[in-house]
Amino acid sequence: MRFGRISKAIGLAAAAALALSACATQGPGQGTSPTGQASAKQGGTVTIAEVNGFSSFNPGTADGNSDVNGHIGYATHSNFIYIDNKLNIVRNEKFGTYEKVSDDPLTVKYTVNEGVKWSDGTQVSAADLLLTWASGSAFYDDAKKDPNTGDIVSGTVYFTTAADTSGLNLTEFPELGADGRSLTIKYSKPFADWELAFGTPGNGGVDIPAHVVASKAGLSDTDALVDLLKGIKRGDPEAQFPANETLKKVAEVWNTAFDTKTLPADTSLFLSNGPFVVKDIVPEQSLTLVRNKDYTWGPVPHVDEVVVRVIGQAPAQVQALKNGEVDIIAPQASADTVEQIKAVPGATLLEGKQLSYDHLDLNFSGVFADKDVRTAFMLTVPRKDIVDKLQRKIDPEAAPLDSQLFVPDQAAYAQSVKDNGSSAYQDVDIDKAKQLLNGKEPEVRILYNKDNPNRVDSFSLIRESAAQAGFKVVDGGLGASDWSKALGNGTYDAAVFGWINSGVGVTGTPQIFKTGSGSNFNGFSDTEADKLMDELVLTTDKAKQDELQQKIDKRIWDSSYGLPLFQSLDIKAYSDKVDGVKQMANQTGAWWNIWEWSVK
Amino acid sequence: MVTYVVRRLIAAAFILLGASFLVYNLTAISGDPLEEFRASSAPNAAQLMQARSELLDLGTPAPIRYFKWLGGAAQCLVPFAARCDLGKSISGQPITEALGIALVQTLTLVTAATVLAILMGIALGIVTALRQYSALDYGVTFMAFLFFSLPIFWVAVLLKEYGAIGFNNFLREPEIPWYVAAGIGAVVGLAASMAVGGEPKRRAIIGGGGFAFVTALLILASVTRWFRYPGLGLAVILLAGVGLAFAVAVLVAGLNNRRALYSGLAAVAVGLVAYFPVQGLLNLATPLMILILGILTVLVGIGVGWAFGGYDRGQNMRVGGIMAFLVGGMIVLDRFLQAWPAYFDNGKIRGRPIATIGAQTPNLEGDFWIRGIDSFTHLILPTVALILVSLASYTRFTRSSMLEVMNMDYIRTARAKGVSERAVVMRHAFRNALIPIATVVAFDIGALIGGAVITETVFGVRGMGFMFLDGIFHVDPNPVMGVFLCVAVTAMAFNLMADLAYSALDPRVRVK
Repeated sequence: MRFGRISKAIGLAAAAALALSACATQGPGQGTSPTGQASAKQGGTVTIAEVNGFSSFNPGTADGNSDVNGHIGYATHSNFIYIDNKLNIVRNEKFGTYEKVSDDPLTVKYTVNEGVKWSDGTQVSAADLLLTWASGSAFYDDAKKDPNTGDIVSGTVYFTTAADTSGLNLTEFPELGADGRSLTIKYSKPFADWELAFGTPGNGGVDIPAHVVASKAGLSDTDALVDLLKGIKRGDPEAQFPANETLKKVAEVWNTAFDTKTLPADTSLFLSNGPFVVKDIVPEQSLTLVRNKDYTWGPVPHVDEVVVRVIGQAPAQVQALKNGEVDIIAPQASADTVEQIKAVPGATLLEGKQLSYDHLDLNFSGVFADKDVRTAFMLTVPRKDIVDKLQRKIDPEAAPLDSQLFVPDQAAYAQSVKDNGSSAYQDVDIDKAKQLLNGKEPEVRILYNKDNPNRVDSFSLIRESAAQAGFKVVDGGLGASDWSKALGNGTYDAAVFGWINSGVGVTGTPQIFKTGSGSNFNGFSDTEADKLMDELVLTTDKAKQDELQQKIDKRIWDSSYGLPLFQSLDIKAYSDKVDGVKQMANQTGAWWNIWEWSVK
Repeated sequence: MVTYVVRRLIAAAFILLGASFLVYNLTAISGDPLEEFRASSAPNAAQLMQARSELLDLGTPAPIRYFKWLGGAAQCLVPFAARCDLGKSISGQPITEALGIALVQTLTLVTAATVLAILMGIALGIVTALRQYSALDYGVTFMAFLFFSLPIFWVAVLLKEYGAIGFNNFLREPEIPWYVAAGIGAVVGLAASMAVGGEPKRRAIIGGGGFAFVTALLILASVTRWFRYPGLGLAVILLAGVGLAFAVAVLVAGLNNRRALYSGLAAVAVGLVAYFPVQGLLNLATPLMILILGILTVLVGIGVGWAFGGYDRGQNMRVGGIMAFLVGGMIVLDRFLQAWPAYFDNGKIRGRPIATIGAQTPNLEGDFWIRGIDSFTHLILPTVALILVSLASYTRFTRSSMLEVMNMDYIRTARAKGVSERAVVMRHAFRNALIPIATVVAFDIGALIGGAVITETVFGVRGMGFMFLDGIFHVDPNPVMGVFLCVAVTAMAFNLMADLAYSALDPRVRVK
């Protein structure tokens, strides 16, 4: 192909023009930014590693309640309370106050302080609290569920919340205060976890602004949303109405509109009412939080910026810490990881326990119907050996867990352990077990997860020790995808698996230990304990709750229920560039005191 | 030809259907997606279980669910409809969106590694084939198999420990003690003496020269603190340019064609003259501008070659173009090195430039050069890891293919009629040796989209491999199927392209 001279000249000129227009507008030498400089106490950047990528600005939905979403939610939202690392509920009176107006019926009034604002300047209002209540109470749901599969047969579930709705579901439609900032809820019967039922971050907290939901759902304003919620009656599976389409639209916005992997162009989708605001997201890689300038309603953070880096593997987290790319890590605990962290110059290792713990449950049927056989079996369980083998290498202080209801981080643990009778099972006592068995040689089938090396080790040690007393232990281990389906189906006599202590709150207790309840897989039934638990869920006083829980703990131990084995270990580490990071057992992790972090 | 392609495409569609049905159902029955809730003591475990079951549509048996999924996936075939529905992941994210993110991450990670591995592998393969059974051949073979057999997670972790953490520590005080410099020089000298072959005397001279040169260079770099304030400068570009001009001329045209050599040298001279004027422009660089400048540079080189005239202008133009590209590359590299101190002192970098995770430093603000260095410092280690493990197959494949061709009758004929060794190797042998390699490369590109699962995991990259694993881990067929679709379609497309390329390259093969 041939070109004429003119067309060549034009081509050249065009190329030159293109080359010049491709120049960046910015000049050279803008490469440095001073924000990363370390300053004395205030300001600076802290980088923290997370295992998963961020996926939703609403951590309260069933799909969105992953750890990382909860952590970002915690940093960008304030609340009436937060939970400290001694697992106490701490009130944040700068955000707002709540008071028990009456004990019978239990009535609680929540008031948000004036000047507490979303990051677009809107006051946090009673409508926001009402939306939180609506999403966390299942008040409007009228779905009928198949009792076997749990699938919805008919009716509607509006908000797919991850929160436990049993508490707020006891309430009637709340009363909104005239000041527009207060809300009063009345329970039909006393509810033990009332302080938690409303407003824990990432678990039905005041995370989602009502004015944004209203506008996204096509309502004219927040008042229209309030009126809508006011106008609909409590859902009843026995008297179903056709679904309210407007409420469905509102719920749909709450359920899915805040799910995103990238930073939305619409800033209303990530409003903050907490110490930090999200500034930037690189999907599956990093997320940047910067100080919320208006924030005064709660503990004010020292640092200006928190960067989250996504690092899945524990060794990669440790190497990133060593290379100065992150300042705080919380990798999965293992002996190797601990050793690697100890080898990082300047790093501080925080060792603690998680709220999850392994336990051995004995079925109250079959060979174990006889209490003496249960007691004998418990006497053979080498709990100290199990801890030695699985945890001593990581944590020299590791010890077996001695309570079914408390963990050592809680103040009530020590007293409960003293009284509950766990002292009888500190050491293996084969002679006594033999005596109790009286020459019998019962066959015991133990269920456990074969794909979890810790459980396999626990099982092997238990089998070895129990055999000495005359038990014939049968390996009932199943693969990772099968063992949990077998729970409670009667094909085994004992099971080794894990539970998660809720840390705060007591409604988890009847879920496991009450006669016939959902997670009571071994058929434990004790009238006295049931009575205590009935009282427990109606008790709103913390000291009284502890007292009742201690009594229940004792009942469980006295019935030779089985044994708690050990808590999972938890490790965190931080570099010598930062300060103020503390151990925390629950899922909030190192983030719980984000306002105490500082750059050295 | 058309009927052949249509036939292959129809067959591919059926393979895709069958394979996707199998993969979907195998993933669905591989575990229990509700496991985490079954043993949960949370009071609302049943509620969460029900929400998960709803999301994944567990009420429908897996084979029927597959057809529902297929219905959504089939909409991807409608062009421009943007109705592609591959379902949602366990966190409620649409798979189409997740695939977009993962694909970018994977391609960033593997593209450079694959291209470099292919180039280096082919080059090493040819050299070892030409020096069959020499010390060099054994050396390269040994190294290739050594790296091939190393577990990549181990290589990657070691690279991070020494290449990133160790090197960053070194950069704090970049002083090389004389004995370390001498040690590195000795290793290089030894390798050089092995590589050159020939008489022991020649080897000794080359080896000794290499040792002295490298040692002196390292000590010089240490004294001038080159690692903190690096740069090439005109002198290095001149020296390297002249050396490269000779090398390129030898490979492309042979030294007999003086005009080719002169065009190469002239291109270097033009580059040196342009060095200072172009700096001001480079300060304002954008990727588009670099691309345009690159094209212009090559055109200028070709023009220089054309201007030298002679009986074989084509050769001149090739040498001129290649040399212009190389010199331009050196000038750009020099500009990157000039930006290094600014990058090093950036508050976000904190004086530790080589990264162990991710693809970029969060919130790093800077111009084209700073960002370019940032990409480089993040990708260098995974790229090295991937090259090390994939080098072996390319090297060995090229070597055997080249050896086979070199023993052909037509090569002997070419030599007999007096064709120069350069022309025999580069024209007659090399091109034909490339034919089987085209197939390997096509297959590798298909596999490449599937992601380098282990490398991705170690370097904290959430690409296709991670998405696949995560899907399997959560017994969530949707992400698995998304990755599967991408990989299967690319693999089949490249397979077809390889077959077509084969027939185009080798006249003896006809597609029917």
